Amino acid sequence: MIILLTIWEFFQNNVLTKPQFFIGFIVFIGYALLRKPVYECLAGFIKAVVGYMILNVASGGLVGNFRPVLAGLKDRFHLSAAVIDPYFGQAAAQMSVEHVGRSFSLMMIVLLIAFTMNILLVLFRRYTKIRTLFITGHVMVQQSSTALWLVLFCFPKLQDPGVVIMLGILLGTYWAVASNLTVEPVAKLTDGGGFATGHQQMFGIFLVSKLAKKIGNPKNSLDNLKLPGFLSIFNENVVATGILMFIFFGIIISILGPELMHTIDKEFVKNQNFGFYILEKSLNFAVYLTILQLGVRMFVSELTNSFQGISEKILPGSVPAVDCAAVFGFGNPNAVTFGFLFGAFGQFLAIIGLVIFQSPILIISGFVPLFFDNATFAVFANRLGGIRAAAIIPFFSGIIQVLGGGFAAYYFTTGNFGGWHGNFDWDTLWPIIGVIMNNFQYAGVVVVVVCLLAVPQIIYRRNKDTYFLIAEDYEKYKEVEAKKQGVTADEVVIE
Amino acid sequence: MLKVIAACGSGMGSSQIIKMKLQKVFKKLNIEADIYHTNVGDAKSQANNYDVVFCSESLVGNFNGTKSKVIGLKNLLSETEMTAKIQAAGLNQ
Repeated sequence: MIILLTIWEFFQNNVLTKPQFFIGFIVFIGYALLRKPVYECLAGFIKAVVGYMILNVASGGLVGNFRPVLAGLKDRFHLSAAVIDPYFGQAAAQMSVEHVGRSFSLMMIVLLIAFTMNILLVLFRRYTKIRTLFITGHVMVQQSSTALWLVLFCFPKLQDPGVVIMLGILLGTYWAVASNLTVEPVAKLTDGGGFATGHQQMFGIFLVSKLAKKIGNPKNSLDNLKLPGFLSIFNENVVATGILMFIFFGIIISILGPELMHTIDKEFVKNQNFGFYILEKSLNFAVYLTILQLGVRMFVSELTNSFQGISEKILPGSVPAVDCAAVFGFGNPNAVTFGFLFGAFGQFLAIIGLVIFQSPILIISGFVPLFFDNATFAVFANRLGGIRAAAIIPFFSGIIQVLGGGFAAYYFTTGNFGGWHGNFDWDTLWPIIGVIMNNFQYAGVVVVVVCLLAVPQIIYRRNKDTYFLIAEDYEKYKEVEAKKQGVTADEVVIE
Repeated sequence: MLKVIAACGSGMGSSQIIKMKLQKVFKKLNIEADIYHTNVGDAKSQANNYDVVFCSESLVGNFNGTKSKVIGLKNLLSETEMTAKIQAAGLNQ
């Protein structure tokens, strides 16, 4: 018995509480189960461990780079601040989890349980009406991190097994239900492309597909528009992040002033020019973001690969839910830039509003929600409601992102570490889920899961005859629709 | 051995999907290929060291002036489209 306890203690101290090794062993075991040769299992192990350790360096760097600015804002204006971006959010969630003395390894267990939950919901699709499996690995890591912090925030006394099981069920249900909502909009946009969206704005896409028709006319589409060429520099992640951070931190640090920064930030030496200090500080964020993405890419690509394999092998007839950028090719190329631009207008306006109305938290635009959410919305909006919808919807989405993200970063205290997840669903649906959990505890969780599971049932009841057909065989679906409209399959109008 | 880059905006999600699908398609066509996935900026600076770049149609414009072949995809998950475009570009010869 004592030997067993010693072994368990050894395992707990060296693996379970060390996320890098825990993730490494999961990859190793996964590869062994797939009967890969030992040297490949070992390579997977090393890549996962190194990838996670890179991610750790970057999270620390990101938050550390932010710290003097946060301290300055607190000192001078009693403000906290958060960048609304999933990578900043992930780093802030990790710091929050570790700050209360819990292990971040839980994130990985949550991810695996949630993925299993999604598989079960698809396997029993006759009853659950779920058609999609969420396989976007890096997004699953980000969402597991933020959601883990939400649960630890609302249930600080709950033990680890309870945390991972409860959250696994909740998050897995969200992945299944929300990606399932995108089946119709994506199939219609891509003319049966054979995929759905599994990203961070799935409820948003569903809302856009319902609202866009009412806002504008698809005949006035973006096709006739010529956008200025310089906007293409925003296609590059590093450049876009650098510019955004330089604008925001340039303004904030200038207001704080060189004297205060000298006393707070030891790295700001006496003979360095203030302007170049700001430039260095801003571009440091791009540095740590790039490192963070390198780390995530390293351990996640192994994960996504096996998820894709599972989705093809054991779930025929189901639809893989993938990165939102997969729809960009089907939209007007202008739509992507247009959405980004109007989203930025909305966000900047809302941020000015926060300052004027003296909100206790300041929000800084992050690149990922600004670009990927609003570009995706614009692609769908342009198809259904033309140029008018493609401008108005991202504009309001930008406002919602700032207000919802600001509320969440304040309420769930991740503003202390300078970040919040910031994508559309995480500025709307998830803060609501969090508040419900915080106020109604376990009963709240049950209500949320039941309400989520009711959503596919409602949609199924509206279109019983074509509900599964649109996902399984789009050509047949069009024939059925054509029959309803009394025309041939080539002339059918799919809204 | 064909050297291939799969690119997307952030180098995280879509490029990985392109890579996974390409691996299958190349295997079916009996083409030996080494595929690397990354973001557009990185891909642009490295493109000349590779034989061919795959990305979404909306990103093709970023590769103006690149010497290697650039193939834009409409549906990132369609093996049929990939096969057709690989054959049209003569990569299977």
